[in-house]
Amino acid sequence: MTSLSENIMNKPANTAAEPIWLTERRAAGLAQYQTLPPPALNDELWRFASVGRLKIDDYAPTGAPSPANAKALLDRSDLVSERAGRSVHADDHSLCFEGLSEELIAKGVLYLPIADALKAHPDLMEQYFLKTTTELGSDKFFGLHAASIRAGTLLYIPKGVEIEQPLVNYYWTSAQGTAVFPHTLIIAEDNAKASVVDIFSSETKENEALNIAVSNLHAATGAKVFRKVVQDWNKQTTSFQLDTTIAGRDAQVKNLAVNIGSERARYENQTRIEGPGADVKMYSITVAEDNQEFDQRTFQTHNAPNAVSDLLYKNALLDQSRTIFSGLIKVAEGAQQTDAYQTNRNLLLDPTAEANALPGLEILANDVRCSHGATTGNLDADELFYMMQRGIPRRTAMQLMVFGFFEEVIEKVDNEELAENLRQLIHKKFEAKIA
Amino acid sequence: MSNSKIQDEAISVDTEKGNFSYPEDYAYDAGVGLSEDTIRYISDVKKEDEWVRDFRLRALEIFNKKDMPTNWATKDLENIHFDKIRYYLSKGQQPSRTWDEVPDDVKETFERLGIPEQERKFLAGVEAQFDSEAAYSRMKEDLEKEGVIFVGSSEGLEKYPEIFRPYFGKVIPSTDNKFAALNSATFSGGSFIYIPKGVKLKQPLQAYFRINAENFGQFERTLIIADEDSEITYMEGCTAPKFETATLHSAVVELVALKNAKIQYITVQNWSSNVFNLVTKRGMADEGAEVKWIDCNIGSRLTMKYPGVVLKGRGARGEVLSIALANNGQHQDTGAKMIHLADDTTSNIISKSISIGEGRSTYRGQVHMPKHLKNCKNNTECDALLINTNSRTDTYPAITTRGQNNTVQHEASVSKVSAEQIFYMMQRGLSEGEAMSLAVNGFVNELLKAFPMEYSVELKRLIDMEMEGSVG
Amino acid sequence: MNTLEIKNLNVSIEGQSILKDFSLTIPKGEVHALMGPNGTGKSTLAKVMAGHEDYEVKSGGITLDGQNILGEEPDAIAHAGLFLAFQYPLEIPGVSIANFIRAARAARLPEGESINAVEFYKELYQKMDDLKMDRKFTARSLNDGFSGGEKKRCEILQMSMLNPAYCIMDETDSGLDIDALKTVSEGVNLMRGPDRGFLVITHYQRLLDYIVPDVVHVMFDGRIVHSGPAELAQELESKGYDWVKESFATTA
Repeated sequence: MTSLSENIMNKPANTAAEPIWLTERRAAGLAQYQTLPPPALNDELWRFASVGRLKIDDYAPTGAPSPANAKALLDRSDLVSERAGRSVHADDHSLCFEGLSEELIAKGVLYLPIADALKAHPDLMEQYFLKTTTELGSDKFFGLHAASIRAGTLLYIPKGVEIEQPLVNYYWTSAQGTAVFPHTLIIAEDNAKASVVDIFSSETKENEALNIAVSNLHAATGAKVFRKVVQDWNKQTTSFQLDTTIAGRDAQVKNLAVNIGSERARYENQTRIEGPGADVKMYSITVAEDNQEFDQRTFQTHNAPNAVSDLLYKNALLDQSRTIFSGLIKVAEGAQQTDAYQTNRNLLLDPTAEANALPGLEILANDVRCSHGATTGNLDADELFYMMQRGIPRRTAMQLMVFGFFEEVIEKVDNEELAENLRQLIHKKFEAKIA
Repeated sequence: MSNSKIQDEAISVDTEKGNFSYPEDYAYDAGVGLSEDTIRYISDVKKEDEWVRDFRLRALEIFNKKDMPTNWATKDLENIHFDKIRYYLSKGQQPSRTWDEVPDDVKETFERLGIPEQERKFLAGVEAQFDSEAAYSRMKEDLEKEGVIFVGSSEGLEKYPEIFRPYFGKVIPSTDNKFAALNSATFSGGSFIYIPKGVKLKQPLQAYFRINAENFGQFERTLIIADEDSEITYMEGCTAPKFETATLHSAVVELVALKNAKIQYITVQNWSSNVFNLVTKRGMADEGAEVKWIDCNIGSRLTMKYPGVVLKGRGARGEVLSIALANNGQHQDTGAKMIHLADDTTSNIISKSISIGEGRSTYRGQVHMPKHLKNCKNNTECDALLINTNSRTDTYPAITTRGQNNTVQHEASVSKVSAEQIFYMMQRGLSEGEAMSLAVNGFVNELLKAFPMEYSVELKRLIDMEMEGSVG
Repeated sequence: MNTLEIKNLNVSIEGQSILKDFSLTIPKGEVHALMGPNGTGKSTLAKVMAGHEDYEVKSGGITLDGQNILGEEPDAIAHAGLFLAFQYPLEIPGVSIANFIRAARAARLPEGESINAVEFYKELYQKMDDLKMDRKFTARSLNDGFSGGEKKRCEILQMSMLNPAYCIMDETDSGLDIDALKTVSEGVNLMRGPDRGFLVITHYQRLLDYIVPDVVHVMFDGRIVHSGPAELAQELESKGYDWVKESFATTA
């Protein structure tokens, strides 16, 4: 197999006739990937991360899965049954695309594969596609994504249109050594409303893969967007998720991430508040076991006054796993009356697990309410005693407490079926450990 | 009354107490710039042993090799021109035992700063350093009889190598950071203190550091060893005149608290606003020992200082209490480090910062429980108060936790003095400035109580002076 | 055999002796009250009986219907039939009352058997009605954000759902207003019967107006110094604990 960068240079992803601006963005991305140095130990944005463990060149894009495989994966793409649309991809090839209802199409909503969106709506795409990065240290990998992206979806909701059911995107990896570059672009115009679920999973426990996913969310004045992302890759996967949110005036955005899989997962999430009155929530839960490393970097930038952002990241750690939570709240000059909060809670379930917390603040306006809190500890011994006194065995009590720890985030999922499926995913991971 | 007036105007009023200088008249001057020759000159003047000179030369090599830490720290560090600084200035004096023997200009300097008066009132011993060397050093006689050693760094290494050499450069090796290396190469003055087993000092020892000359770098070195079951409180103060050009102060302070010993180290830093104050401070706490840093930073252009405690023995305790006040043109980049290396260790950090005008205060912290430890606790609280609309504060903690029954808690908050609070107090008849001072004093009040009374009164006065300026 | 029996129990914590040769026998069908000044070892006794690991048992024994429970894990002791109503019930975020009680019931079933959800909820709602608890409580996290009275009611609800042979109630009256006290007492009285023994630990006589004991024990300095009928509680209330201290300090 040829190495990834060779592969991209020899067989660029833009085989179809792409607009010139895209060809340029891809070339710039490739140059960025090739020229920027790999993350180093003394790089502040990679502090505590095991930078030495990154192996990118062992992976390459692969062909489409067999029809039998495709059928099996389609059947497994069932976490949310009540939905407004669904796309299923495997190794960056589309397996199915369930489009919108006639009614939503008539209202001007666009829900399209990226390739179709580029053909049908080049102006819209030129304005938004591959334009926003997280500023959290992964420009090199964003460049590789830009050069390589071929699968993903565009969701465009025109002014005032509300979609009640979620759009659900599944991204599978299947072939050994595959590299995937999923892309989710969400543009919500004034007072539009929508929700999106992105689900990342592997076909088997063994297939090795590299994922570099990008999601860009734009919420205009008064828009309401709820994005949930479930990362359930197998433990042979190296994963990057580079997500951004730009919130306009009075926009309400919720981001919720559930992180279960990967050998090594870097999750960057940048929120930029550009309009007064915006309200952005960022929630995440992570279950880390074995030698997994979850590296979470967040950035809450307040460029406009009177806005709210609230972050809650909860991690439970087992075995020799590691988590890194590095979060920064930045309140720009003039962004008065900002309320910005950041909370990181780490639950160490084994003495060999390691939790790192870097909760940061940069405050350049004085009339603000900002706080951050980070705590790390074990399960509370008195609570454990209390539960055991009721006759609950130690292991069961521990399980209940861990699920209770996550429930604070799970209950924010406003879809009971998905919430229950997420509980099952977490339970499955724990049952082997605490049983 | 319009609050915007308070919030928008910030006039810089520095405390003028230390802003005076005397003409220069030095017997020894290492000249401008830093080279091996500079180091040899300092070492020759001090008639040092071969090992001390080697230690300095090795440190210079490390200093030259190390990059400025601008990958995480402020770019303002690039404005330090090491080739324009004078690294050693002294009048060739031995520290006097009575103030009468101190040269007149130096004596007047310390009298204006109130040092002899404080000594009479409440101190067990005083050392007063003028540029590179101590001009005065005296300790109460009964302490001498108990075996307490309180001398300068050169005297300590020369006369008591068996006591000091085993710990010198061990808590903070020359390789720790660029400025620790610089100090290790050029150190002069400072205090070397040994408290014998079981001796508990009832009154504090004090050192006062004065920079008199322009373009000067002061590199004092302090090492305090508290033997088993002993107790000591040490206080340091500092001032410099306000010169046009930048002045550098780069100290290294090492504390060693052996089994069940207690060390409390208090700093009131009030350098003039042209001083780069880049200091490395770290204590080592053995079994059952306690190291407590009480750190107050009011002056300087840029202070970078993160007092640390290495909790090496079971049941050791570490504490950092700090107050920082950043006015226009100032950056107080301070914090704390707690390295837990044994079971049952506890650490506590409380940091309060106040940013006035365009002042910037930064908290950087590190809490490290890297190994399989049990029953360790850390609690960190950082609170920032922003006075004006253009004031700035940053918080950058780094926390690593492993092990069993360990708990780590970090909380930070940012607040301001609200227009309503000021209005309320003014309605009761206070002036705007008084109201602001009261609010700020309220913010730091809990921490001020940790300082000895004489110091907390002085600190309140300094804070009041800074605040008067802030509301115009 | 049908007794909860504590024999010559000596317990210390961090080297300090708390229970000194403590003995007490509670037969099924009886309610015993244990009164005494603060710091005399009442709560320590409760926690040691329930198997808390912080205490060092120097000597003695505890048997439940003839079976040793001292040194067993807390859940094993609970399964043997001992329930401790906590003085300060713990808050368990994210775990609902209903799920918690179900888990506790399920842990008592033989392997392979499961709980009939319909019957479970029927029983749960009936008991909540008895305790004047809103049914919405079942979905709330255990004790999380509950008032003092709500927490104590929730303790009694669990006690009644788990059907223990012996109930230890540790200062259940503390922090309750008179209405809550009545409701909680009614709940307890409903559970009284020939198959169940109670140990009601309290500092004040007030609770014993509603839960009338068969025997009152006075505890002082780590042991029982005096026992008597229900009226002893009133006597204690009027004479105060100084009387106990004066009368028994020397003999202690």
